[in-house]
Amino acid sequence: MNPAGIAAGGFIGTLVLTTALRAASALSLTRMDLPFLLGTAVTVDRTRAKALGYLMHFANGQIFAFVYYAVFLAIHHAGWWLGALFGLVHGLFAVTALVNTLLPLVHPRMGSPLTSAPDVALLEPPGFLMLNYGPSTPIVSVSAHIAYGALIGGFASLAG
Amino acid sequence: MPLRDYAVIGDGRTVALIAADGSVDWLGLPDLDAPTVFAGVLDASRGGRFQLEPEEPYQVTRRYLPGTNVLETTFRTERGTARVTDALSLDDDLALTPVRELQRQLDGVSGTVPMRWSVQPRYGYGSRAPRMEWRRGVPVAIDGADALAVCGWDVGPVECRDGEVAGRFDLREGTDALIALPFAHQEPLVLPARSECEARMEHTCQAWRRWAGSREYTGPWREAVSRSALALKLLVFAQSGAVAAAGTCSLPEFIPGERNWDYRFSWIRDSAFALDAFLRLGCPAEAHAYFWWLMHASQLTHPRLRVLYRLDGGTPARERVLPLAGYRGSAPVRTGNAAAEQVQLDTYGELLHTGWLYAGATGRLDTDVARRLAELADFVCAEWQRPDSGIWEVRSTPVHFTQSKMMCWVALDRAIDLARRRLIPDRHTPRWRAARLEIHRFIENQCFSERGACYVRSAGSEDLDAAVLLGLLYGYDGAPSRLRSTVDAIDRTLRDGPYVARYSGEDGVRGSEGAFVACSFWLAESLARTGRVERAATLMDDLVALANDVGLYSEEIDPADGAFLGNLPQALSHLALISAATAMDAGLSGAAR
Repeated sequence: MNPAGIAAGGFIGTLVLTTALRAASALSLTRMDLPFLLGTAVTVDRTRAKALGYLMHFANGQIFAFVYYAVFLAIHHAGWWLGALFGLVHGLFAVTALVNTLLPLVHPRMGSPLTSAPDVALLEPPGFLMLNYGPSTPIVSVSAHIAYGALIGGFASLAG
Repeated sequence: MPLRDYAVIGDGRTVALIAADGSVDWLGLPDLDAPTVFAGVLDASRGGRFQLEPEEPYQVTRRYLPGTNVLETTFRTERGTARVTDALSLDDDLALTPVRELQRQLDGVSGTVPMRWSVQPRYGYGSRAPRMEWRRGVPVAIDGADALAVCGWDVGPVECRDGEVAGRFDLREGTDALIALPFAHQEPLVLPARSECEARMEHTCQAWRRWAGSREYTGPWREAVSRSALALKLLVFAQSGAVAAAGTCSLPEFIPGERNWDYRFSWIRDSAFALDAFLRLGCPAEAHAYFWWLMHASQLTHPRLRVLYRLDGGTPARERVLPLAGYRGSAPVRTGNAAAEQVQLDTYGELLHTGWLYAGATGRLDTDVARRLAELADFVCAEWQRPDSGIWEVRSTPVHFTQSKMMCWVALDRAIDLARRRLIPDRHTPRWRAARLEIHRFIENQCFSERGACYVRSAGSEDLDAAVLLGLLYGYDGAPSRLRSTVDAIDRTLRDGPYVARYSGEDGVRGSEGAFVACSFWLAESLARTGRVERAATLMDDLVALANDVGLYSEEIDPADGAFLGNLPQALSHLALISAATAMDAGLSGAAR
């Protein structure tokens, strides 16, 4: 377990997670687009939002990877399966609290339960389990996070 | 209570209907499309309501506070005058605000008026009486993760029994009272102080006035346009930018009848009118948000469009029947909408026209949006020859509706224009041109009756349909003589005074219906666009006079007695008013928008 391994795992994991979400979107399984959601927090230009969003998304991927790393260090254990378990928890947290509850509260253009007239939100809120973005969204999102976690756990153990 | 006697208040998240007798008979919480806490309008005994009125005979007058969606009801009795100011308060940063809050402020204007009030919350469309508990001396109606408190100040002793919170008091000149209903959903209740409520009411009035004061229309029928803009704003779901078709569900199109539908969804059908209204009235934020929402909501099924979408962008709920009596016995009471599964080809024209309007306003389209608009045009090329259920969502066998074909023509026409301006990919333009020509031939050969000298309802029929006026309004390229004679035929056949019926012929649903308000405004605009400006203006004057005492329209009106029918407030009615007024103000005559 070393930081370089974690950084590599975080990068590859984020790559896989992003690709999975993008593919699911292209297959009309979900309207979830994490980079777009992140990017529109800083700009209303859709094209620029996506570009910035990808940068922010990969930075977040690294941050979460090092959070995983801290836990691995604390328990003196890492591995594919443990990473996948962390990814499951991470994914469930993302669809229930992180994107559904916390993001609308800090995102200046996303609707929240408190958004009222005369204001109007540019982005619809994700809803519980992000179901507003399509019925398959929670499954797709959690699965992608499991893959992300597994890759970080795996890289952490390989970089022993 | 006649539907004409209802006013509406709202906060961009939900709406409440308030009758002339002071009863809140409709309120969905937390959102406009959520199950109701008050649905007395659909079932007086089970639906739940919030009554507030003098205990003795009275006369009532109402108005909205100028430039707001805050309702003021004045009760006059022999002994005095009382004023009630109703609002769903807007979010502010002044204090910790409840998730939703209904406020009813009472002022003693003169003399003494004995008042009685009663809050009877019934959750889940009247299916569940709440569990009543007390919090800090405040009665709270609880149901699962929902809680509604009844906070009263100077409203007499409060009685709480059998799921009802009630009281009575004398309102004397110079005194005031307040009842606030803060609501919580999946979180702890916020129990506000009186001073916070009063500050929030003031903030609410100011916020509405600021918004209304920023509108840019100064032409004829300004008052009606301004009220329509405010009514429309109530139907803009602030959390997503979606525009709901109406604030209610299952108010009947005929009494007693079964034409009772849930309109608390966003129809693509309304999109072009809505975006056009936002742009004409100077509402760029609403226009921008609505277009973003449209493109986001329609992404999952792209390039196929759903007829309607939930306000949060989710999948529409399946249609189901509620065990309620219905307004004046008009059952079934439905929630959800089966029309969501229909094929309605006109929606493609409306969405492409909306994109065209948006591009015209912003001068550019996002790459992804541009690609999708081009793919919609491709889809129209492949699908236009299908029969469909049409704009009126008939539940009979699909046919080749003329208006649907006209809107397919509009879809391709707008796509061709966008491609010409290099705003969307142009590689399929030749295909779009060819299909546009084919559609034009089909309409001119199959959908025009030489005998009636007009475009008919569907290919090969002799029935009329006011919706073909939309072909004219969206710039369908028919011969001017044919368009003009169609306007005349509809004016002659479907019109009765200021009232215009939607169509002649069958639609697969039993029973009759009233005149469709939007069709009357479409006819007025069509008359203006075909050069009969004076006739159009006269009709507009008549139509503006048909609004209720606070300037609202429902979906339909009974020509026999002027009674409101259908859901209210109806976005399409107000959108059609705005469109007709602004078009006449701009002095258009026959040119495409």
